[in-house]
Amino acid sequence: MATSTKKIIRISVVALVLAAVGLGLWMWNKPHKDIKNAHAIDITAEKLYQTFITDSAKAKTAYINQVLEVSGTVSQVSENQQQQQIIFINTGVTGASINCTMESKASSIKPGDQIRIKGVCSGYNSGDADMGLPGDVFLIRGYPTNN
Amino acid sequence: MQLRSLVVLVALFGFSFSVSAQKFYTKNGLLSFFSNTAFENIKADNNQVTSVLNTQTGELQFSLLNNAFHFKKALMEEHFNEDYMESKTYPKSSFKGSITNIKNVNFSKDGVYPVSVTGELSLHGVTKKISTTANISLKGGKISGAAKFSITLADYQIKIDDTVKDSIAKTIEITVSCLYDQKL
Repeated sequence: MATSTKKIIRISVVALVLAAVGLGLWMWNKPHKDIKNAHAIDITAEKLYQTFITDSAKAKTAYINQVLEVSGTVSQVSENQQQQQIIFINTGVTGASINCTMESKASSIKPGDQIRIKGVCSGYNSGDADMGLPGDVFLIRGYPTNN
Repeated sequence: MQLRSLVVLVALFGFSFSVSAQKFYTKNGLLSFFSNTAFENIKADNNQVTSVLNTQTGELQFSLLNNAFHFKKALMEEHFNEDYMESKTYPKSSFKGSITNIKNVNFSKDGVYPVSVTGELSLHGVTKKISTTANISLKGGKISGAAKFSITLADYQIKIDDTVKDSIAKTIEITVSCLYDQKL
């Protein structure tokens, strides 16, 4: 084999190894999805909740793990145990909310405010019928988009 | 309406009210898991745990959506949902059981009360009986609960690829912490 051919093979192998290592490193350190700038499905809190209650198969396909921008009236503002802000959006069903865990805090938000929150929909957790607790639809990694 | 019927109705109403007033819940409890190996530590948190505690009977329930676990690395989150927990097929995990010595907790006095919990844990399509110790805390009238226990992944049919078997522990530590600040 000619020296120049050997050289080309050697360079190709090194380039391939470097590319594989680079790809591996990129995959390993791949950042989480940029929710703030992601395309979102626009929907009201009432419609989102009702879709999960009346047609859960459709809701699962259309909304779970998707970025949604949910609009509605704030019913409660609190904090979880990791000091993340929790915002409940009214669904029109007593005791049931769009339960949003926020990635960034918005101190001015209070119950009664109209809000739009962008976040990833985890789905509907049915609460407990035996204990009389209605379920919520959960949104994680939330950002307010109208504050 | 006869007087006796009225008395029975009032008594029934009063009874149902007093029973329902014994149920406390949260929809934003915290459940974390921790995998410790020589190669790597992996931690994930789920802050959307729904839990109901009946302070009269000790009945206790938890449920969560598996895809709401948050990992430091996006790739770990993907593998967790797609390869190990199979969150599309098994979207929910739950626990249904009771605090067996609920009478040891004085819900009208601040303090930390050790309790025993037993029940059935449903995970990845498998239901198994588990028992653990926990603490119920009362502070300024607010009830909170905390527990730490371990599960073996093989018991729940969660298979780990040979390529990553050194990075993921066979036994995972689960920590649960709930502040029961809502009343049913």
